Amino acid sequence: MLTIIKHRKLWATCMLGLFLALSVMLPLVSTMALAEEAQPQAAAAAAVEKGKDVYYKTEGPVSGAGWTEMNENSYPSYSLPYPLSENRVIIWVLAQQHLYFGSFVLAVPIFCMVIELVGLLTRDKVMAKKYDHLAYSFVKISLTAYSVTAILGGLLLFSFITFYPAFFSYIAGLFRPVMHIYALLFLAESGTLYIYYYGWDKMNHGLLKWVHATMGVLLNVFGSVLMMLANSWAAFMMSPAGVDEKGRFLGNMWHLLHTALWNPINVHRIIGNMVFGGGVVGAYAAYKFLSAKTDEDRAYYDWMGYISMFLAVGSLIPLPFAGYWLMREVYGYRQQMGITLMGGLLAWLFIIQAVLIGALFFATDYYLFAGMDRMKGAERYAKSIKYVLFLTAAAFLVWLTPHTLIITPQELKAMGGQQHPVVGNFGVMSAKNGAVNTMLMTTIIAFIIYQRANKQITVKWATWGNAAIVAMFTVALVNNWWVAIYGYYIPANVRVGLSVPQVMGTLTCLFVGTGINIAMMRGAKDMGPVLWGKISVRSQYALFVLGVSFTWLMGLMGYIRSSVRLFWHVMEIGRDNSPWAFTHTIGFAANVMTFNVVLFWTLTLFVFWLGEIGTKVAKAAHAPAHQPAIAGGSK
Amino acid sequence: MATFWRPGMMPIQLLLTIGVTFLIFVIGHTFIKKTFGRGLPMLAQGALTWLAAFTIFKFVISPPIPSSLLYIYMGLITLVIGLFISANEVSWTESKKPIVDTLIGATPLHRGVRAVAFIALPLGFGWGTYTSIAPPKNFPEPPELRTVHPAPPQAIKVQDKQFTLQTSKNPFRVDVKGEYLDVGKEKEFFASNPFDPNAEGYVKYVKEGGEVFFRNCHFCHGDNLDGRGMFAFAFRPIPANLADPGTIAQLQETFVFWRISKGGMNAPREINPWDSAMPPWEEHLKIDDIWKVALFEYWHTEFFPRTWD
Repeated sequence: MLTIIKHRKLWATCMLGLFLALSVMLPLVSTMALAEEAQPQAAAAAAVEKGKDVYYKTEGPVSGAGWTEMNENSYPSYSLPYPLSENRVIIWVLAQQHLYFGSFVLAVPIFCMVIELVGLLTRDKVMAKKYDHLAYSFVKISLTAYSVTAILGGLLLFSFITFYPAFFSYIAGLFRPVMHIYALLFLAESGTLYIYYYGWDKMNHGLLKWVHATMGVLLNVFGSVLMMLANSWAAFMMSPAGVDEKGRFLGNMWHLLHTALWNPINVHRIIGNMVFGGGVVGAYAAYKFLSAKTDEDRAYYDWMGYISMFLAVGSLIPLPFAGYWLMREVYGYRQQMGITLMGGLLAWLFIIQAVLIGALFFATDYYLFAGMDRMKGAERYAKSIKYVLFLTAAAFLVWLTPHTLIITPQELKAMGGQQHPVVGNFGVMSAKNGAVNTMLMTTIIAFIIYQRANKQITVKWATWGNAAIVAMFTVALVNNWWVAIYGYYIPANVRVGLSVPQVMGTLTCLFVGTGINIAMMRGAKDMGPVLWGKISVRSQYALFVLGVSFTWLMGLMGYIRSSVRLFWHVMEIGRDNSPWAFTHTIGFAANVMTFNVVLFWTLTLFVFWLGEIGTKVAKAAHAPAHQPAIAGGSK
Repeated sequence: MATFWRPGMMPIQLLLTIGVTFLIFVIGHTFIKKTFGRGLPMLAQGALTWLAAFTIFKFVISPPIPSSLLYIYMGLITLVIGLFISANEVSWTESKKPIVDTLIGATPLHRGVRAVAFIALPLGFGWGTYTSIAPPKNFPEPPELRTVHPAPPQAIKVQDKQFTLQTSKNPFRVDVKGEYLDVGKEKEFFASNPFDPNAEGYVKYVKEGGEVFFRNCHFCHGDNLDGRGMFAFAFRPIPANLADPGTIAQLQETFVFWRISKGGMNAPREINPWDSAMPPWEEHLKIDDIWKVALFEYWHTEFFPRTWD
């Protein structure tokens, strides 16, 4: 042990080398496994039956058993009262909880990595220490959640094996090597995480700190690949590839993984996880703020809440575009699935989604406005709140108008038809694109106002800078609205293409607008420091709203993505012949989602509490000795 | 109010109405502040905003919007007003003061208001509960969640011929040389005269589709394809408004082909097949005629079918 401590740099470098080697070896192992499978196939090529890939339309040797038609006896269940008599409800709850915790433990290391790197690159030693401590706080929260994720994963696996033996046998037969790689990656991730956490203090200086930060990067690589492999199973069920029409594997593992929806789901989930992770940590900070006994603690957790909110909302901005891409690919794969999702059976769940997304934007704006209360000079911008809220509300009004209306026969008669001539036009994609981009831009405006709330801008070109920002937002908004209107008069594929300039306008406002704003604040006169901890209690509930809305959204969209298969286990290959092969009512689905949200937050509170046991908070370290300035924000 | 709304401009008119009302509020309030030295109390501003929004959504929009949508809109407005008045400490303190004063009975006037409120509120809730659960006099039918666009099947069989809806193409969407006309390129023919005796390709088929339409479909779907044909109001709901950007413009051409072929009675349950009187036209028309009608509908409305490439 003494030798290890003495030569810790050497040991750390060796460990890093070991993990790097492992990360390089994994693809090799997988390639070898696939090659082993391919050899006997190649040898017997002449005798092997050929099949045609349902998606890639390529021919390949039939290399496995196909889908076996199931009957109601294929789904052994317990004699439990409804709804637990349905195996799928138990799987639903377990899978959702596993996904919640999995997302959390995948997202938090991303934040840790970023914050640790920010700390490393910060010249101000006090601030560097603060960032480092914050990153450590984040990983501490996720550590217990990691164990819970593993336990829930085990429960989910056993439930699949016992409740859906035939189905699981089929999927495991197809993805056998992938599942082994998954298990190896899990080991690698666990090892990295524990060294990352427990080595934090030991590896806190010089080269070792960089080694530690590199391990943070490795941790994220392992976690992301792990998630992508798990995604491939879900994507295969929705849009199978690599098999023939009887579900028989055709020898090409890449086709099996790289289905039509795999990459859109990967991108959407990585970004979604980050949003979710930020939301949960933000809620943790709000919980700690509300229960804090001292001003120092309140200041620290106020700052932590702000950074979490910033990370969550920063990740939220590209999420609609990733979602748009996913839905485009879903429609492209099967219009039947696209219409079921957005125009048919599940369309009203998308309205609930719209409401929750609106809640996110409003909560963010509200938090920023409330946060301005702790800055001297912010009262200059108080009158702008109503304009931001008005624009957000008008856009939200368009955003949540449903295409399919709930309507009484009398109202239908008064309207004269199913489509309302005034608001019916808001129900389609062109209007929604315009609305969501408007809401994004108003949130960016709220952030710009927040950044300059306690600053007296002194640069000579302030007038030009302000004019540039105003002009940029005006042009972007007018362009966005014009494209939204023009979208009604052009073919759908052109309209989809035109969403690019809308997005570019929004992103330009985000990066160039905030960039100009940050540049304008160089040498700006402070009208007073940010009084961390002096934020209103109401603002902390906005952080709770963010966290809970993200949780609800994840449960909702996960259900929608899964249930769009309707009566298929594997789309158009393996039919669901269970006694409960029907789509639940919207009300029932909403109740289960809500149950999942409540269960997750109850478990999360338990995790937070566990994280507190035995931890003596070093209050001195928490004290905001120097006012933080994250993301170009106000000092 | 109905005369205010211009077809084609209605959504913009609504948003402009909301925007102008907001600006009138802001300008009016600034004027009051300058004239009287102080603005309206925050709660009064909130109440006025709420009433203005309610007036627009309930009485200005014509035809009236369904009550479910009205609840959603007013819920949103209520939320936004709540956020506005509590966004900073000054307005929050000002807004809650009259409420807190009433609750603690700060003055005799507040005590009076509190007494009235404490009597009126339970009565109001009681009345609301009673009216929401009491059987109404005329027993109206309950609200319906009818899906306007049901999800189509992967493939259909029409007159013993199999069509995969994801990939099938309208065989009459062709130019004069008989080559397939990609969606969007037909725009150049929108102004063409289908009655030109020399018309070829796309325009010729549009004309033939129009003939089929006016022989069979226009009685219900109307001359302008707006779902207001001479028989339309014998049905409830009235036939689909094909000229609305929320219908055929959102769908693949094969979707339209499917719905025409199979009609209402063979539609999925989510569309409430019993709410549609459309016959399964595959029993009355040739496959070619159905494709031509689809072609005509897009030509007439100047919409483009949805594509994914």
